[in-house]
Amino acid sequence: MARAWGWLVLETAIVVAEGLSYRYPERDAPALLDVTLALDRGGFTLLAGESGSGKSTLLRALCGLVPHFHGGEVAGELTVAGMSVRDHGPGELAAACGTVFQDPETQVVMGGVRAELSLPLEHRGETPAAIARAVEEVALALGIADLLDRRTDTLSGGELQRVAIAAALVHRPALLVLDEPTSQLDPVAGDELIWLLRRLNEEWGTAVVIAEHRIERCLPAADRVLALEDGAVVLDAAPREFLDWAVATGGNLATPVARLFSLAGLRPLPTSVKEARDGLRAAGLAPGAGIGEHVAPQAGDDDARAGNPGARSWRDRWRRSAASDAPVAVAAHGIWHEIADGPTVLRDVDLRAEPGERIALMGRNGAGKSTLLRHLKGLVAPTRGRVEAAGEVALLLQNPGDYLIHDHVVEEAGVGALAAAGLAERPDANPRDLSGGERQRLALEVVLSGERPCAAVCLDEPTRGMDRVHREALVGRIGALAAGGAAVIVATHDTEFAAAFADRVVLMGDGVVIADGAPAELLAGGWHFSTEVARALDGAGGALAPEHGAELIERELVR
Amino acid sequence: MSEPARRAPRRDLPIPAYRSGASPLHRARAGVTASLCLALALVCMLFADPLVLATAIAAVSAAGVAAGVGREIKRAALLSLPLVLLVAVVNPLVYREGDTLLVRGGEILGRRMDITLEALVAGGLAGLRVAAIVMAFGLFSACVDPDELLRLFRRFSYRSALTGALATRLVPVLARDALRMGDAARCRPTRPEPAEERGRTGRWARWRSSPGRRPASAAVVRVAVARAALSGALDRAVEVAAALEVRGYSVGGRPPRSREPWSRHDLRVAAAALAVASAAVACKLMGVGQVQVYPRIEMGVGPPEALLCAVVLIAAVALPFGGRGARLGVARA
Repeated sequence: MARAWGWLVLETAIVVAEGLSYRYPERDAPALLDVTLALDRGGFTLLAGESGSGKSTLLRALCGLVPHFHGGEVAGELTVAGMSVRDHGPGELAAACGTVFQDPETQVVMGGVRAELSLPLEHRGETPAAIARAVEEVALALGIADLLDRRTDTLSGGELQRVAIAAALVHRPALLVLDEPTSQLDPVAGDELIWLLRRLNEEWGTAVVIAEHRIERCLPAADRVLALEDGAVVLDAAPREFLDWAVATGGNLATPVARLFSLAGLRPLPTSVKEARDGLRAAGLAPGAGIGEHVAPQAGDDDARAGNPGARSWRDRWRRSAASDAPVAVAAHGIWHEIADGPTVLRDVDLRAEPGERIALMGRNGAGKSTLLRHLKGLVAPTRGRVEAAGEVALLLQNPGDYLIHDHVVEEAGVGALAAAGLAERPDANPRDLSGGERQRLALEVVLSGERPCAAVCLDEPTRGMDRVHREALVGRIGALAAGGAAVIVATHDTEFAAAFADRVVLMGDGVVIADGAPAELLAGGWHFSTEVARALDGAGGALAPEHGAELIERELVR
Repeated sequence: MSEPARRAPRRDLPIPAYRSGASPLHRARAGVTASLCLALALVCMLFADPLVLATAIAAVSAAGVAAGVGREIKRAALLSLPLVLLVAVVNPLVYREGDTLLVRGGEILGRRMDITLEALVAGGLAGLRVAAIVMAFGLFSACVDPDELLRLFRRFSYRSALTGALATRLVPVLARDALRMGDAARCRPTRPEPAEERGRTGRWARWRSSPGRRPASAAVVRVAVARAALSGALDRAVEVAAALEVRGYSVGGRPPRSREPWSRHDLRVAAAALAVASAAVACKLMGVGQVQVYPRIEMGVGPPEALLCAVVLIAAVALPFGGRGARLGVARA
């Protein structure tokens, strides 16, 4: 692992693992199984895998929390910057490894941003002058200089995450590990964060190891991908090889544009939207200008609806709503939410949902999506306006764990609901022992477990930290609820998920509805609020999903 | 005509919390502002005289309003209310001393339940003292930066100070968790109990599935939420501990001393703290503000007490906030 250039000897590998296995205390199955790898200094490595595949455990091993903090059994060897993780705890490894976790709120430990950034250096006994300089420099590098004098509890999720990264980097570690850092951010903040990491990687030479479910977001920045399955590394390859493997093994880890190319029979598989556009041009298809010109569905066209069930003109919808003959499941009429001595969160919002409708509520953080859902449920009273509901409105808030307050899952929702959540075999399990996806399903059944069916079901960011398999299961559940006659309204940042389940998209910004229409209209022509396939095809034909895009490409190629 | 706008109440935490501000109490170094708050608390601890206690409350309130944290002081006062009422009510029921009998009660468990004026007054004074101390600490919470306080104490006992600071910071985090869980509880619909569906046969299960049994009341759900929030606190603490570990907490040594020049705010607030503490200690030693409740109420109300009150009020309010110097921002002395 060492390369000698005359008198200069450079360690090329920052992380070396040999036969590393690990089992958490009181667990039967190993979380890591015979992991052997070497990560180069200055590399950008993406950890890919489904929930429970061992990504987080590997990251926690790199920073020494496994085994020193969590306990358990370890076999094999892992060295980080030449330090054996067996012999050096997280405190010593912190000199070489900065760590950022998923939830920014619990990793920011001080009350002020400046104090938060100073803390790691104070632990290391740096002088006040050195601390002041390092804090200033890292704040400038990460673009958070204007936050230095803010209190940490006044920061948004994106700002908190940047502060957490700055705190991890302030002592200039050679390695930065991040566990789903974008899961709580909107698409804009998430993309900005990944490119910030890439810049740090390129300019400072910091090796980055990141675990993410939204692979399409990170893959363009990555040099290398490690795929994990049941704790074992099943693939260690460059991004393009990873995509070939992911497509060949079922596509659960493949990005949308990779699946688009695979379904359309195009090669090589693109690792980014830019490469996808280049690939389409190479195949004689000019995105936007050429594709879909002859097959683009027209608004209100029945055939188009058949091709993409969400493709309905919002003008048609407005006319239909204005006629007001259709029954309403839940509706907000001119809702205002004004906080005393604070901002106006909602401003004259009208939203009408009909039975069986599936609505994606989108917009950046702070746009008012969650507050609108709270109004629909009746958790808060509007300062002006009113809410009309045909029956009970169920609301699943962002943290499913908040709904689980008993010691056994059967006490949460009853036997029937357990079966719907796929937990019929584990009635006596403690809700805290469930995986994220299981908690999500159980919490959804908790809010649906009323005696009468709900007129509307509202979900607030249900796909945070959720892998593709679980997202598809949730799409199916939403479809079933809508088929049962409930209006389903989901606040989400996840454009791929919105395209998969919604037949209408409502885009909010700064407390007002700024667009309301069919997914094919809103998610195909947007900048950030568009799917990867739509961006690759430049919105051609209103195609959002890989399957629809591939059909479009095949028709073009045949023609 | 549109209906008049009602503003939605801000969802504030029910506890006083620090917010950075531009007042002299915020601008002064943490140790100095903390000293003033502690000096005011010391007054409350040393004296039971209602005039002195009322003055301390007035001084804390006035300093809070002048520092822009009046809302936090009000919140602290509300927070102290249950304890104040408890003390004020329990004292006359427990103590039978005093010559002035107000109510002759019957015997409960072999003990006469007489209520005397003196016990009533003693309860009221104790309640007033509790309120004043809680409000002084409310001022402390609202005006003293915990990060700076940690910096102050880290040279003496770094880990204890950090643990204390973290515990303080976890309080609002847990309060937010509890608010969220309360909202989630309000989203739970009423439903049939699971035990009857599962067909369990135990005594507990039979009670749960009995036909006359009502669904869980709001109070029961509230208790379950509180229990879950409490156990969630452990998870939160573990996460924060993990974050501390990866920031190098376990290898943290005693940091080097930093010397910053004293600002005019530091000097004025320190002078106020010194004046309040000195006056309180001196008056206590001279026997000013003595209160005797049993067997008869005797309390000194005269020029010495009035002088002590004037010193406390002027020192705590006029010294930090009065004059041109207080309005000169952060200019260094």
